[in-house]
Amino acid sequence: MTMEYLEKYRDGRHKCWKDLWIVRPIWTATKLLIRTTVHRPVTVLYPYEALWNPDNYRGRPGLDFNKCVGCGMCARMCPCAAIILVETPDDEGNPVMRPQINMGRCSFCAYCAEYCPLDAMTVTPIVELAEYTRADLIYGPRRLAYEHTTEGMKVILEETLLSDYNSGNGEKRVSPFKVDRPELDGNKCISCKKCAKACPVDAIKMVEHGVNAKGRPILWPEINDETCICCSNCVDDCPKDALHIKEVL
Amino acid sequence: MAYSSILDWIVYDNPMESPFYPFGDAYNLPYDIAYKLWDIIGGTLAWLVNLILPDTNVGLRISEWLVCTQTNNFFALVLFMVIIFLVAFIAVLISLWEERKVLGRTMDRRGTMIGMWGFLQCVADGFKTFMKDNVQSTRADKMTYIWTASLIIGTSVFIDCLIPLSGRWFVVDYGAGILIVMGLYALAPFLILVSGWAQNNKYSLIGGIRAAEMMISYEVPMLIIIATMCLLNGSFNINDFVNNQYDTVWYIIPGIVGFITFLICSTAESERAPFDLAEAESELVEGWQTEYSGMKWGLIMLADYMRGATSCGMIVILFLGGWTLPFIDLTATGWTTWWPVPELVFLLKAWIVFFIMIMIRVGVGRVRTDSILNLGWKVFMPLAILNLVIVLALKVGGIF
Repeated sequence: MTMEYLEKYRDGRHKCWKDLWIVRPIWTATKLLIRTTVHRPVTVLYPYEALWNPDNYRGRPGLDFNKCVGCGMCARMCPCAAIILVETPDDEGNPVMRPQINMGRCSFCAYCAEYCPLDAMTVTPIVELAEYTRADLIYGPRRLAYEHTTEGMKVILEETLLSDYNSGNGEKRVSPFKVDRPELDGNKCISCKKCAKACPVDAIKMVEHGVNAKGRPILWPEINDETCICCSNCVDDCPKDALHIKEVL
Repeated sequence: MAYSSILDWIVYDNPMESPFYPFGDAYNLPYDIAYKLWDIIGGTLAWLVNLILPDTNVGLRISEWLVCTQTNNFFALVLFMVIIFLVAFIAVLISLWEERKVLGRTMDRRGTMIGMWGFLQCVADGFKTFMKDNVQSTRADKMTYIWTASLIIGTSVFIDCLIPLSGRWFVVDYGAGILIVMGLYALAPFLILVSGWAQNNKYSLIGGIRAAEMMISYEVPMLIIIATMCLLNGSFNINDFVNNQYDTVWYIIPGIVGFITFLICSTAESERAPFDLAEAESELVEGWQTEYSGMKWGLIMLADYMRGATSCGMIVILFLGGWTLPFIDLTATGWTTWWPVPELVFLLKAWIVFFIMIMIRVGVGRVRTDSILNLGWKVFMPLAILNLVIVLALKVGGIF
């Protein structure tokens, strides 16, 4: 009978006394305990300690009020329709349009920060947003401000152009706001000047191109490539669909 | 009548000189504490009664009744049991805390973190279960359902209180000490079986049957080892066990085989993982405790840990020299000193044994129902017999 027991542990897996029966797992567990006791625990005491967050951690969006021009790109891009533009007095008291975010709807995708042409909208590491009512979750333009914005919190949208890829520059990244510009189809334009009114950065100037059959001046928008931020407000407002965003530069 | 000072009513008698001292010649520290505590409480009450009702027959009678020897003895006995229970209870809470901390650290967590390095989490959990709703099955056999739970909890608390912490910290000191503890200890599986039947729930019934099945496999080698160690010692008395080990050598040295077997058997006895077949929360919902909710569940859980503490206490008494340390006479200054070293030595040893139990729980998965039978009859039984042979050889050879 004794030999039977000994044979049981002679199957090639049990080579020394530590392999015997339950000694091996307990020995492993003890080594593990010593190791885990020496170093810090993996878990953190959350309300008292916080995990380290990278700069581009997607917490609630933050807004640089004075950098923002109110182009509405964020509101257009928001997949949850959490952002609307509201009229707010700026530092001089003039009414300007600025985004207001409903954090109850926000999904923290940071598209607003990504698509902001001026990087006025950034991500912030703030995630503790609990409030007592849903109304408190609506963040106005001033409340969105975040003073510790760093370079890393600006989510920059970059892409590789097909032309660059074909010419062997596959590694090159450019911002679409630098290369995309509205282009005019002159035949459709009716000189209504709506594009110039809609432009948040006054990059559109109406330039006279002769007179029409009735003797009225023909005004075509001329877009300043330096100041244009490619917000496509002019494209949206054009009643005759004469403007299109195209990759021009 | 003149104003009597409170100090006139509080007299620190020596309890051993009282004619009703229940422990004979032996000094008993918790009884001493309880006796003097009642001296203070009863003396203060008597002084207050004397203040409120001065110079009256009734007041004088009440005051004298509160401080007379018989009353003092009665209330000292009540306080004595409260002290014994509180110390056992706190020791169990500390072992519970130890388990949660060690388990947490092994899993690279922190374990409990609420107050006093996480100790107060156990207290908070206790309060939580006490405040829960009492949900009860309508189809259960009410009387058996309640009584079995009460008996399981009662016997567990009782045996934990019966474990002496030192030669001066005991409830009773008599010849059959080990036997009565182990006898009451072995009662629980029967009650678990009855309770599993009474709950009218398949999980409970399977848990109860498993408890009974497990008991027949580990109880026999365990009792053989106890009998063997008593043979080595020559007495069933716990005090004799400890004193003999101090005189000769800790019984872990002649009985190392028995120690290992007894450690694993007593882990099974207290139904801790890896022998928690009767609970088996991943297979049977909560095993035989499925229908017990709220306070009942909390008390059953406490009883489980009390049984674990009892196991550790029995191991310390049988194999690890109880409250003595080798070569150091902790009682050199006599029992009259109040410095609680022997008690702490005992508790520390018990917690170290409990730590080994926790490491077994950490490292080993739950055994199957059939393999525990194999384990009990084919491994533990021969080991127990081997232990008996070794002890017999030592005894016959005249070494012990």
